[in-house]
Order: sequence, then C-alpha cells, then structure tokens
Amino acid sequence: MLATAVPLAGATVFRVLALQIAEITRPGLAAEELSVRFDAHAQSGEIAVGRLRVGAREWRALSLRCGRLHLDDGVLGCSAARLELRGRRLPFEADIEATLGPGPARIVLRLAEGGRIEAAIQADGSLRARLHRIRPAATAALLEPWLAELAARLRELEAVGVLDAELDYRPAGVGDASATLRGRIAGGGFGSGDGLRAAEGVEAGFTLDARGTGAAWSWAAQLDWDAGAAYVHPLLFEAGPRLRAHGRFDGRRIVLERGELALDGVAAASARGVFDTFGGTLDTLAVELTDVDLVRIGPRWLAPLLAPASAQRLRLEGRADLRAELRRDRLETVDVELHGAGFGLASPQGEGIAAGGVAEEARAEVLAFGPVDGRVRWSSRGRGEAALQVGGGRWEKLALGAFALDAVLGPAGLRLPGARIPLLDGALVLRDLALGWSVAGWEGSAGAVLEPVSMPLLTEALGLPRMAGVMSAALPGLHLRPGELVLDGTLAVSVFGGWVQASGLRVHEPFGVASHLTGEIEARHIDLAQLTEAFSFGSITGHIDADVRGLELSSWRPTAFDARIASIAGDERRRISQRAVQNLGALGGGGALAAVQRSVLRLFETFGYRELGLRCRLAKGVCEMDGLDAAPDGAARADGGFTIVRGGGVPALDVIGYNRRVDWNELVARLQRVVAEGVSPTID
Amino acid sequence: MNPVARWLFAAALVASTAACVTINIYFPAAAAEKAADRIIDEVWQLREGAGSAPATPPAAGDAK
Amino acid sequence: MKSASMPSGSWAGRLAALFVGLALAFPVHAQGNLEIDTPAISALRKTMQQRHAQLAPLYASGAVGIAADGTVSLRDAAAVPLAQRAQANAAVAAENADRAALYREIARANGHPEWEAEVRRTFAQRWLERAQPGWWVQQGAAWSRK
Repeated sequence: MLATAVPLAGATVFRVLALQIAEITRPGLAAEELSVRFDAHAQSGEIAVGRLRVGAREWRALSLRCGRLHLDDGVLGCSAARLELRGRRLPFEADIEATLGPGPARIVLRLAEGGRIEAAIQADGSLRARLHRIRPAATAALLEPWLAELAARLRELEAVGVLDAELDYRPAGVGDASATLRGRIAGGGFGSGDGLRAAEGVEAGFTLDARGTGAAWSWAAQLDWDAGAAYVHPLLFEAGPRLRAHGRFDGRRIVLERGELALDGVAAASARGVFDTFGGTLDTLAVELTDVDLVRIGPRWLAPLLAPASAQRLRLEGRADLRAELRRDRLETVDVELHGAGFGLASPQGEGIAAGGVAEEARAEVLAFGPVDGRVRWSSRGRGEAALQVGGGRWEKLALGAFALDAVLGPAGLRLPGARIPLLDGALVLRDLALGWSVAGWEGSAGAVLEPVSMPLLTEALGLPRMAGVMSAALPGLHLRPGELVLDGTLAVSVFGGWVQASGLRVHEPFGVASHLTGEIEARHIDLAQLTEAFSFGSITGHIDADVRGLELSSWRPTAFDARIASIAGDERRRISQRAVQNLGALGGGGALAAVQRSVLRLFETFGYRELGLRCRLAKGVCEMDGLDAAPDGAARADGGFTIVRGGGVPALDVIGYNRRVDWNELVARLQRVVAEGVSPTID
Repeated sequence: MNPVARWLFAAALVASTAACVTINIYFPAAAAEKAADRIIDEVWQLREGAGSAPATPPAAGDAK
Repeated sequence: MKSASMPSGSWAGRLAALFVGLALAFPVHAQGNLEIDTPAISALRKTMQQRHAQLAPLYASGAVGIAADGTVSLRDAAAVPLAQRAQANAAVAAENADRAALYREIARANGHPEWEAEVRRTFAQRWLERAQPGWWVQQGAAWSRK
C-alpha cells in the first residue's frame, strides 16, 4: 500500500486534505486509484475509487461524497454520504465509519421505502450485516449497477414484500470462508406479466449456510413456507411445504445435491438439480416423490396437467411413486410406479361448472379402472414402456375383468401388441394398438375382437330383459381421431333364434357432452315367440327381419333411425295373442284398432296372421310410422291408415295404425309401461 | 356479339373461374353465419328469449 | 307423400317441372339453413351456455379473450385472483374442447365433415364481431380491447 498525504494549506490546521492511495487489497476485494479529499471547513469530503474489484466483478469511477466527513484518531467518518458510479447517483444514503489502515468499519445504508442495511466489517474481513425491511424495488435499485440482469428480473416480476435478514460472513483464514444468511419474507409476492407465474401473501423463513473458498462453495438451506399461495401455470401451490436442501456453488452454477420437501399428500419428496445463474435456466432437475396419495395430489396437480378440459370429471385414487427428470426446462423422463391406483371418468352431463363448485359425489362414472399396479417409464428422447396389471374396470354398466397391459411408449405415443380384457364370460381382445398424441388430440388405430359373451349375462348386467344367445364382434379397423372413434367391422349377436348384426359403428365426440354413436343394424330370422316372451309383450309366433339404417344414439337413447320390421315368408303357423294385439294397439295410440270388434277380440286367445310389418323413421323426436309396404292390391288404404298386421287363417285379424306421427318419448314410455307392468291398455 | 360485350363476357368468365379457385362455393357461408349467430345468441345470452335462463326477479320469501 | 297429377304439355306444367328440377339440384342451398338442432349440438350449446356464467366475468376483466381461431384464450391470468387461476384455465380448456366438438358436429350434422375448418372460421369471425364492448379480441396475432 502506498499513501501520500498532501497538506494543501497550513501545517497544523489544514483546510483541505487530499489523499492519494494507489491500491488497497483485501481478500476478494481490491480498490485502485483511491483519492480522498477532505474539506475541513465545510466538514465534507469525497472519496473516489478509480477501479473496484469484488470477486470476479469490476467497476470503474466510483465516488463517495460525504455530507459530513471527519477524521479522528485514524477513524474516517463519512455520514449522509452519496455514492456515485460513473456520475450516476446510487439510490441510498450511507453512514460510514472506517479505520484507515487495518481496522473495523461500520456502514449503514439507508435505502428507499425505509429499508436499511447495517454492516460491520472487521479488520480480518469478517462481516456482520442486518437487513431491515428491504423491499424488492429498493433491492433492484441497489443491485442495478452491480447485477443488472438480476435487478431487471426483479422489476419484471413485479416482486413485492419485505425482507428482514441477518448475514454473517467470515473470510477464509485457517479454514474456509463461511457465510450464514437467516431471514424472513413477509407479504411476499410476484407476478409475471401474463399472470402464469405468480405468488401472493407469501410468509416464509429461511436459513442459508455456506462455506468454501474462492469459487468453490458448499451450502445448506432451509425454507419454511408458512402462508400464501403461488400459481405456476396451470398449478396452484399453497403454503405448507418445508424445504431442506444442500449443494454446491461454483460462481456460475448452483448445484442442488439433495433437496427434501415436506409436502401434504406425499410421504417423501426429494430433488437434485443444477441451476445456471448466468442463463437463469434450470440445467437439470430430478424429482422423486415417494408414496404419493393420488386422492389428494390428483385433483390438484395431476388432473390439470393430464386432462385440463375434464379435470373436474377425473377421479384418481391409490398411491404412486414418481420420478421425473427435466433438462433445460423441458421434461425428459417420467417413471411412475402405481400401487393400487384407480382412475374414473365421470359422465359429462351435470358437469360441475359453477366457479369453485364441487363436483357431485354421486355422479355416475362412464369409465373406471382399478386397482392398477405396475410401472410406466416414459422418455422424451426414446423408447419407454408401460407394464400394468389392471385389477378390473367398469364401462357404463359393464364390469371388466382383470387384465395386463404391456405397451411400448414413444415420446408422443404408445404401441400395445395386444391385450385381453375380460368382459363377463367373454373378452375384448385388442391387437396392434397404436396411439399417438398431437396438439389436436389422440389419434390411433387397433384391431379388436370380442370373444363370445353370453347374452343372459350381458342382458342381466345391462338391466335388460333376459335374452338367450351370444354376442361377439370382429372389428379389425378401429380408428381413433380427434372427435371420432371408428369401429369398422361387425358386432354380431345371435339371439332369439336368429342374429343381429351392427356395422359401420362410429362414436362421435367420445369424451364430451356431445358423445353419440351411429351405425347400421341388421336383424335376421328373429323368432318373435322368444322376443315377445323376453319382453312380456304377450305372444306372437313367427319370424321377422329388421333393418335399422342411420341409427344414432345419444347417451344410449336413439335420436334418429329408419327402422323396418317385416315378417319373413315361411310356412310356420303365425299366431298373435290377444294381449299382443292390445299392446300393439296401445303403441299405435289409443283406438288404433280397426276391423276387429272388441267383442270378437275378447272371444279368442290368439289370432292367425298372414304378415306383419312396421316402419318407424325417427327424427327430431318424432317417429313417422308406416306399416306393411302396400296392400296386395297395391293401393293405400282409403282411410289413411297403415296396416301393421294383416290377418289370415281363423280367426283372422288386421291391426291398422292411423297415427303416423308419434312422439318418440311418448312411444317409449308406452312401450315401457306395456313391457314393465304388463298392464292391458284400455280399448275403447 | 360486339367486341365490348365479348370482352366483358371473357372478363366475367375469368373472374368467375378465379373466384372458383379461391372460394369454396360449396360451403354455404351465409347459412353458416346465420347458424353461428343463432348459437352465439344462445351461448352468450345476447337476445331476449334466446337463452333458456329466465331473469327471475328476487321473489320475497320464496328464495332460500 | 301423394303424387300430384300434373296436366302435362301445358306451359304451367313445364314451368313447374323446371322449378322442381332446380329445387332438387340445390336442395341444401335453397333451404338456406344449417342443421344445428341435433341432440349432440344441442347438448354442446347447453353446456356452453351454462359455462358462460363462469366465463363472462373473465371476458369482462380481460383475463380471457376471444381468439382469432375460434377458441378462447387465457390471455391475462393476472386479472384472475391467484386462487382461481387454475379453475379459469380449466374452464378455458373445457370451453375449447366443446367448441372444437361444436365445429366438427355442425360440419358432420350437415353431411360434410370436411366443412369443419370453414365452420370454425365462420364462427371465429362471428365470435369476434359479436364480442361485447370491453372484451378482448384477437386480430391476427395482436390483442385489442373492443
């Protein structure tokens, strides 16, 4: 150190003292080209530093103007001081007392908005500082000249809050340098301009211990988040988590060797990672959550990520272990182990739309799986796999048996060589399922076969009248695209002595309120005796064919179709019972019977008939009825009626409908009354 | 046909072919706008009677 | 339907026949209406109308804007209280899922699934034009207040 004092006037009582110091060096700190100018009369002065280096950073042209400057016993006192950097005034006022040469110094910085920093620096370079009521705006202003990017970031985030902290720093001596920062944030918050990252009302206490030398530091931190909430799109986090972490810092990268988070609903949460302070990016982060309670974590953090549009309809339960890795702010791998997990998707009808509304508990689930055990490993860069054991499931009213899913996962899709999902006494067998994810939604294809399911079991499960027979399906062309599920192939049911075949099946908007199914149905050689018995409709013998074109079902209720039923020419004895006649009449609307006297009707149990036919074209809630295509003589009935049953044999009977436009709901209600209660309709 | 009329005819023909290229004439744009307006009226409840929610005056004693 | 007997050969009959021919050639266009009353479309309209109660204040505050592509967009989450941002986002996602379904369904209900993009474009334009004063609308990529 070289110092020259030049008294400008007078030997004992000088008016102005100018001091030039070439260099002052302390560990981690160097000041060059210092000059001190002291005006004894005005008791003021100025200290200028040509170049200041702290650590790896350097500043030029600093000057400190002291409102009051005094020098007693080698102690320099500078109060009401203002610091300028290259001619720009820094936003604080300082009081400084420093021993010239080796010795302690005390600095008080008064910042904007009542903030205050008191620091005491000892001769050995150790520092003790107290930070009082520091606010982000003041911090940003204070940091501006030194860490411009950090200051800009603080401003950009519109940070608010008050920080109170204590800093203890000991420079490296015999051992490493050490620093302890202990503090508390009150009323903290921030918000990115678009509101997608924000926090409010944050109360948190923290402790940071660091020790090291030069650029190599190790640290341990502790954070207790006591109040407030944060939103990181699309997730809401609330106060409660407690973080314990330790790691290293090399001047550029903060290495998180291990962080442990105490989180409600998670038995243990830990993380490792590297944060680049220069780029402000997360280089890597590995998170491990053990024993996650899906009931509590699911609605909060999984549903908004997995299915934001139907988050309210998604139910999750069971437990999971989860590991995820991020690289450069992007998700790279996910590894999930499920333990007795359950998933359910509620019907979209009656969606809990009201803001903050809680979805009703009793809402029926369209689809559910569980318990599910197994592991799913996904990677953004290559092959992953899923190996799951599904204990069972439910689709609408149908219970699904246990099955295994072994799929190969890609970055944006999956392939499943095959799966066999038991359904009652049969099974749904999927082959070569390929699913891909794009912004528009899921797309994929598969082949499916329904191994025979016995109709008695199926009808019982669906709450329908018991039917004999089996159902099976061969659907080689299953295609899923946004808004549509195509089932190319046929679904066949052998029932009532004949068969029913559905083809061209399509499910439109499978996952929303607009969900509906379209297809074509052909029924051949249906034994009316079995059919009418199953539905307690009275009794009709004979066989029919039926064709349903353009069938459309919404929530399993028909909304459109063009259906024809016609008896098949054959030599069997065709009879229709008195009750079936009455029921038919009731369906056609009251008083639809003609050509038969009530007295005659009552005389016989059954009647012979030659042929039978009915057509119903349903559209917009109205069924347009028609009967047998035409009378043998080719003319429509003069009275505008249509023949449903044409008599033959002894005694013969015609059933003729007159009401061509029937309200469909009314018709269904009548049919249900007739079938369920077996009530004889009134005949006038 | 006089030259002017012929020229006009040719211009009209060119214009109509160009229009065919740029506009899908099969899409009933006017009908679609009408449909959109009907649905918007209903969803945003812009017109009296368009919405199904009747403005119920706070009935004394009846509510809650 | 009963077939009406027509005095063939008369001028009136020829004109009528010509007229019938035209009507058959442009059955949809002559009607001038798109089918929007199918059960699926009705269900969507009802759900969207119910959801509007939740979205209307979000449009008014500018949190959610009417996007140029026929969707709605969470353009300023900061306008929503922190605790309700996740719900607002869910409402936007659900609304957009319904709108996508609506455009598809209208195209499909009218027998032209390939019209979806045009239905969407038409709706996008109408939503923008019918937006209430004070709501935020997107033109091109830029947002402005109506």
